[in-house]
Amino acid sequence: MDNVCDDQVYSEIFRAHSKTIFNYIYYKFGNEEKAHDAVQEAFVKLWEHCAKVTPEKARAFVSTVANNLYLNVIKAEKVRLKHREPGGNVTRESPEFLLEEQEFKEKLETALSALPENQRTTFLLNRIDGKTYAQIAELEGVSVKAIEKRMHQALKSLREDIDGI
Amino acid sequence: MKENYLAKWLNGELSDAELKAFRETPEFKAYERIASFSSRLEGPGFDTEAALARVKSARPGTGGKVVRLQPAMRWLSIAAAVILMLAAGYYYVNTLDASVEAAYAQRQEVRLPDASEVLLNAGTELTYSKNNWDRERHVRLSGEAFFKVAKGKTFTVETASGDVTVLGTQFNVLQRGDVFIVSCYEGLVRVDHQGQSIELPAGSAYRVEGGAALKSETVESEVPSWTGGETAFRSMPMSFVIDEFRRQYNMEVETRGVDLSRRYTGTISNTNMNLALQSISAPMQLKYEVEGNKVLLYAENAP
Repeated sequence: MDNVCDDQVYSEIFRAHSKTIFNYIYYKFGNEEKAHDAVQEAFVKLWEHCAKVTPEKARAFVSTVANNLYLNVIKAEKVRLKHREPGGNVTRESPEFLLEEQEFKEKLETALSALPENQRTTFLLNRIDGKTYAQIAELEGVSVKAIEKRMHQALKSLREDIDGI
Repeated sequence: MKENYLAKWLNGELSDAELKAFRETPEFKAYERIASFSSRLEGPGFDTEAALARVKSARPGTGGKVVRLQPAMRWLSIAAAVILMLAAGYYYVNTLDASVEAAYAQRQEVRLPDASEVLLNAGTELTYSKNNWDRERHVRLSGEAFFKVAKGKTFTVETASGDVTVLGTQFNVLQRGDVFIVSCYEGLVRVDHQGQSIELPAGSAYRVEGGAALKSETVESEVPSWTGGETAFRSMPMSFVIDEFRRQYNMEVETRGVDLSRRYTGTISNTNMNLALQSISAPMQLKYEVEGNKVLLYAENAP
């Protein structure tokens, strides 16, 4: 039987979910240190409770721990993101184009930081980490419908902010 | 358009007709750019394997197995508790600090649990934890001492003026009143004084007087002069020199017309009192008289 107390199983669970937990907390607060702490806290707790948590429930377990870690609202810092260049014809981009891309990235980062934390988290988990609405709903402990609403609102606010409306 | 259509659009849930209508709105291009641009973003780097190693070293080793006590185990646990209390009591008595003192006109040699040697100058007190040495490698010093620390052993000397941290070395610490001098003869020591941290390599000294004027000096000799038969002073106030004389010979000293703030540089004998008094008085144009255990030190032109 698969048991989370088994080091092999535990490591697999860690590899599968730790990055999502990390990004999740980072998108929330824009603070890498807190994100590292959350991963540490969640997975040490998982180890402590490994006899009671099945591998299927492990993901929900670590999300809940990470989620509860910073219940007291801490002021979010600006979320800094890196921009992956689209592969292939990058070299042919004109300097004007690159400059404009850079400006757009800054606008987007500012707009992202202005979003409510739950909208930003949902939006980035979907866009960067490719999480489905159902997965995000599980992570956040809300309905899929609520996630759709956050996603819609996030995109709307970003567009308005960037276009300066 | 239907509820949350932006979310549905990103998720590919819009019908052809809905999509066509959305594409024709003036905002569409902006939405499309945000969607495609944001999917090319990345969070800060996260090294999964490094994080896994960190978590593994932080988690408790038991694996969370809970062992329930059998009813028969109960009396055993009571016995264990009693033993624990006895052990704690023994432990407490054992951890009481050891204190070594060198009285006036005396020297005292101390061998610390790690075989480091400490030579205490006259009028010095050293306190350390004898049996708890492995966990608390620190000594408290009031006065002056020369340390020869066993190789590879680190510990801290705490004084009223600051802390000195040691790594396999020979060094001298003097802390008397507002004077604090640390001289390093071998290896390296770190001095923490009023929030400042200074690393002192061999051949240098750190000096504080009256809480001010940090001064770095060089150390030429191999060991502090006082561990031999004499004590060298470099630009020290007369008050300090006279106090040191008092400690070395356990004599009472009276001064008349002597400027105690004048600086003295020189060497005084620790074994021959008359020689020591000559060394102090001659360069400062003073005279002295010895009577019993009293010394009178006075200015030549004083009445």
